Amino acid sequence: MRKSILLTSFLALSSFGVNAAEIKFVCYQDANECDVLQEMSSIWENSTGNTVNFETVGYDVVRDQLENLLESGAAPDVARVTNLGGLNKYYLDLTPYVDASAWEKNYGATLPWYRKPSGDNGIYGWQAQLTVTGPYVNVTMFEDAGVDMPEEGATWDDWADALRVVKSELGLTAGLAMDRTAHRWAGPAFSYGAKFHENGTPILVDDGFRAFAETFVGWHAEGLMPAEGWPAGAGTAYKNAAPLFLDGTVAMHMSGSWMLGNYDKNITNFEWKVVPIPCGTGGCGAMPGGSGVVAFNSSKHPEVAASYVDFLSQAGRAGYFAANTSNITAHQGLQKAGIDYSSVSPRVSAGLATFAANAGKAADSTPQAYWFQGYNKNFAIYGIVPDYITKAITGEMSLDAALAAIDADVAAKIAE
Amino acid sequence: MFDNFLNINNWYLFAFFYLLIGFILSKDIYGLIPRLMSTLGWPIEFTQKVFGTKSLPYLFLFPNILIFGLFTFLPLFMNFGFSVTDGTSINFENRDFSGLDNFARITQEVQIDTGGENVEDDKFKAAMADTFVFVILQVPIMILIALFTSIVLNREIIGRGFWRAIFFYPVMLSPVVVAFLWTLILKRQGLLSQTLIDWNWISEPIQWLVDPSWTMFWSIFVYTWAHMGFYMLILLAGLQSIPKNLYEAAQMDGTSESRVFWRITLPLLMPILLVVTVLSLIKAVQAFEELYALQVGWISLVSYIVENAGIRGQKTFFGLGIAAMASLIVASILIVLSLLQFYLSRRQVKL
Repeated sequence: MRKSILLTSFLALSSFGVNAAEIKFVCYQDANECDVLQEMSSIWENSTGNTVNFETVGYDVVRDQLENLLESGAAPDVARVTNLGGLNKYYLDLTPYVDASAWEKNYGATLPWYRKPSGDNGIYGWQAQLTVTGPYVNVTMFEDAGVDMPEEGATWDDWADALRVVKSELGLTAGLAMDRTAHRWAGPAFSYGAKFHENGTPILVDDGFRAFAETFVGWHAEGLMPAEGWPAGAGTAYKNAAPLFLDGTVAMHMSGSWMLGNYDKNITNFEWKVVPIPCGTGGCGAMPGGSGVVAFNSSKHPEVAASYVDFLSQAGRAGYFAANTSNITAHQGLQKAGIDYSSVSPRVSAGLATFAANAGKAADSTPQAYWFQGYNKNFAIYGIVPDYITKAITGEMSLDAALAAIDADVAAKIAE
Repeated sequence: MFDNFLNINNWYLFAFFYLLIGFILSKDIYGLIPRLMSTLGWPIEFTQKVFGTKSLPYLFLFPNILIFGLFTFLPLFMNFGFSVTDGTSINFENRDFSGLDNFARITQEVQIDTGGENVEDDKFKAAMADTFVFVILQVPIMILIALFTSIVLNREIIGRGFWRAIFFYPVMLSPVVVAFLWTLILKRQGLLSQTLIDWNWISEPIQWLVDPSWTMFWSIFVYTWAHMGFYMLILLAGLQSIPKNLYEAAQMDGTSESRVFWRITLPLLMPILLVVTVLSLIKAVQAFEELYALQVGWISLVSYIVENAGIRGQKTFFGLGIAAMASLIVASILIVLSLLQFYLSRRQVKL
């Protein structure tokens, strides 16, 4: 009897020793995402005996260094990433470890973003947040200028007209600023009718793309868009236009839902709000996106890592994450039921509702936005478009030459 | 127990055993001071006994060569490897050999993978041309200013030390700080535009760093401002090494100031001036940090390499190979410049 008790205790202890694993989570933080994830993880740690070691880093670390870590065998077990399709070959397929049907039901819309371009049905990551591009408007400026804001369904041209008046009435440097990346540029281009692909092959320059490119260059030429924006960047460099909105240089910033927390915290001297995405002949285009939590196939504890990602993806946890980080959830059940954002400020709550509606409009009217988000080489295109459009703006190249170069450069960059 | 012994906090135990070993090994040495020295330096003497006097220098060089090899030669070979292979991976086992394809990708008019128009060669050639313009203008301007400043600061002027410190000060600043300071001055709403508007010299603010007609000027200006002090200091040392009696003799002969400069100062400063020229040429070809942080409106050769290497953002299939090939071309230019320096220095010595 005594022997059997000892043996049982030994086996229990040794099995605990074998199962209790430590996993490393490289998490980039925009606002408080990693803090909230860490809070959620403690429940999982207590219930399983495993440990999650968080390494909270800046976005550029995940963007620029994670792939090298993965290649050199120094990868973490789990990471929060945004280059969803681009890192596919390193992902652990969670299918054997999770309830695949539940994942398909709850995250079916975003699972393809993580997959290989064709013939892949794997489950690779939990879409922790859904981001959508869209414009922020300085309400105080519109009021001071006595300009009525265009209603929902207004076109980009309507907004440009309104911003011209605000600019001239208040003597602003410019009216509209946009982050320097094709990720923000794509939404308006979709609205002008750009298709971006044909049967899954990227074909950027079509009539719609050209129409928006002409308009965009024209907006810079007339001063509606500032020289500190796109023209102030060289090559494929990304440039955030938020400082221009924060310091009152412009009355509108084409950005995205991830800026809600930042603006809510930092803008104290004027009123602002998120407005419905402007439309055009091609629809009401906005780029969806966001970050996901993935496990890597190099993990020494694949089962543990998969179980951790599965734990985070459950409705209760996904809802908690969305509510506490002021983000739109990708959980389709929660999207229908609605998230309780009562803890955030009314303007953030209103902004989230507007962004969520933008995502819906884009899904209906510009489905190419979802294709572009899921395209595994979209990051290369994000830099190529600003590189050449900037040259057209500064007069270094004609617009025709710039558009031809975009097509040629994209073709060369995606060739393998 | 043993772990405890290895703890760094037990340094006195290490010291005791070190000295004890030294004391035992030096038992045959007579005299207090020699034995004390042997007790302290027993590892050197022991190594010398084992390997012999001739091998000792190589033994001392070994750690340095190992580290130097690891961090200098290994990346050099890896860079060459990247330039003749394709793929997103940094592991050679996952990269395909492609020969001189990357050279073709940055030099040929037709894109070899798509058969269409190539734009990469335009980008590379533009980076080469812009860097060439930058180097050709920046180096002579900086050397002239450095020479002039060093001559002035070599004279008996009031507060000479203070002025020397002032001109050298930018060298000590981080390139990012330099760029930040000058961005405050040169951005559209910056100090320069506002001042010129206040003086009614311009009516609209100018984006000095981005405007195609100004970006090169300010790149050269800021880069010269940041680096001139270093070369000024070298030239100043060169000026001070010129024997004073030559100047005294010239003064006694009533030689004019300009003749003294052309016949004494400049010829005797020439070897230093040559070193300064080649060093600043190499540095200017490598210009990156200040220009990158300033976000100037042109792409330098090093920026081109950084942009393609996939250091920022997602890697592309040919990016790393293209960047490595471009860096080999830059390295070739630098090797030519270094050989030029070597040749000219030897020529100077012979003269």
